[in-house]
Amino acid sequence: MSDTSRAVALGPYSAAVRRYFAEPAHGGDPDPGAGNVWTAEASEPASGAIIRLSVTTAGRRIRAMRYRVFGCPHLIAALERCCERFEGESLESLAEFDLVELMRALQVPVDKTVRMLLIEDVIRSVCKLAGRPGENETGT
Amino acid sequence: MNAPDNSRIVYLDYAATTPIDAAVLEEMTGCLRESASYGNPSAIHIAGRRARWKIDAAREDLARLLGCSARCLVFTSGATEADNLAIIGAARFRAHRGRHIVTVSTEHKAVLEACAALAKEGWDVTRIDPDTDGLVSPEALADALRPDTQLVSIMHVNNETGVLQDIARLGRLCRERDVLFHVDAAQSVGKLPIDVGDWPVDLLSLTAHKFHGPQGVGALYIADRAGCGVVPLLHGGSQERRLRPGTPALALIAGLGAAARIASGRMASDLVHVRRLHDRLLGGLAGLEGIRRNGSVTSNYPGIVNISAAGVEGESLMLALEPVCVSSGSACNSQSGEPSFVLKALGRTDREAQAAIRFSFGRDTHADDVDFALRRYVAAVTRLRALAPGQAA
Repeated sequence: MSDTSRAVALGPYSAAVRRYFAEPAHGGDPDPGAGNVWTAEASEPASGAIIRLSVTTAGRRIRAMRYRVFGCPHLIAALERCCERFEGESLESLAEFDLVELMRALQVPVDKTVRMLLIEDVIRSVCKLAGRPGENETGT
Repeated sequence: MNAPDNSRIVYLDYAATTPIDAAVLEEMTGCLRESASYGNPSAIHIAGRRARWKIDAAREDLARLLGCSARCLVFTSGATEADNLAIIGAARFRAHRGRHIVTVSTEHKAVLEACAALAKEGWDVTRIDPDTDGLVSPEALADALRPDTQLVSIMHVNNETGVLQDIARLGRLCRERDVLFHVDAAQSVGKLPIDVGDWPVDLLSLTAHKFHGPQGVGALYIADRAGCGVVPLLHGGSQERRLRPGTPALALIAGLGAAARIASGRMASDLVHVRRLHDRLLGGLAGLEGIRRNGSVTSNYPGIVNISAAGVEGESLMLALEPVCVSSGSACNSQSGEPSFVLKALGRTDREAQAAIRFSFGRDTHADDVDFALRRYVAAVTRLRALAPGQAA
């Protein structure tokens, strides 16, 4: 496929965004009783976007991540990629989440930056709720 | 997932543009190929006369479709130019009588922005808000008319909602008060019966590509009656009665004529066909909760159906619908992502407007296309609702 026909086929969405959007494996709510669950929510009134991220931990390890979202394909894809990326990792690695790297990987247009910042907001909130290493091991 | 296959699409965006009819294409390519057609229609030699004959024939075909005299028609580049010529041209023609124009907040941008341009020149512009069904009442129009009103511009069929205005009744009000009445009929010419001989309409805009003609050509009907006229916006030649100078686009005009001829012959069967598709779509959506039709359910062109789904984000819905080609609630604002001003004028919230989808059908749409779109739509709405937090509903 030529660059032109590929651009026509993909439109404003990269192949990665299309893939994550089509197969949102982490959408939904966390399994109850699977561990400590930390949930944060953020919204952007201008676009009406709302996201809710739930992180299930065992100690400092992230056992599962689930999200709910009302938003555009880029937002859905970005949440899906985050979950895929950080499940199985430590809370410390989640705290080092890099929004710019995520937007670059998914080729998110710069005009969606404000909306994408919601993801940074919820990740920060979750990390804060979960606390620093050795603290707050029994959150909800 | 691979990139979507461009060759497989279900096209339900006939209100945006229609596929060109094979016979229209044949007419046009004939014009482009024939050595006899390269003459300038303004030239007096035989090549020019042959080209002129084709243009005259196209004008006659269009006149028959509209029920008017051919000499009342001016070819333009499309409905946008026709709207501008009608509104700005008629306003300037009547400027000595007064400087007030009335239009409707749900008009196409070609009308609204032409009015806005006049407002910058000192014209007073009143925008009537339709009711929540998108309809303009004669009472609302009567209230807006003033002694210095010179022009009223109201569209026949709304491009986003399909709402059909009572042009005859609204036009009578204008005629009673000697106010010029312009109708943007871009969405109805070739699809609904129009007889400007019967209608109290002074100016009517149309474009070929909405009824299976080529893009880039349209026309303005100008009634042949006292007090009605337009001042040209362009200068530089005597073509089109000096109202639209420049060498006529022969192949495009011939295509418009062919599209008009075809539409004259099959309008009734096309209308029955799109009505069946309309009923099929709405019947298929009946079981889906949180669905709302935008625009009147009793006064509409059935080839356009605009639906909002609660709890669904519009941009994601559009992507999930691929390869179904429809327009979003952003409609003419689809690049900006702004909610449609037309739907907002009908009282829809930003979220309802943004989640709206316009399905539009035509003579080439099959029942299978509607069924496919229905399956996609129901699946997409269900999936996106399942992803959404509770408060998004």
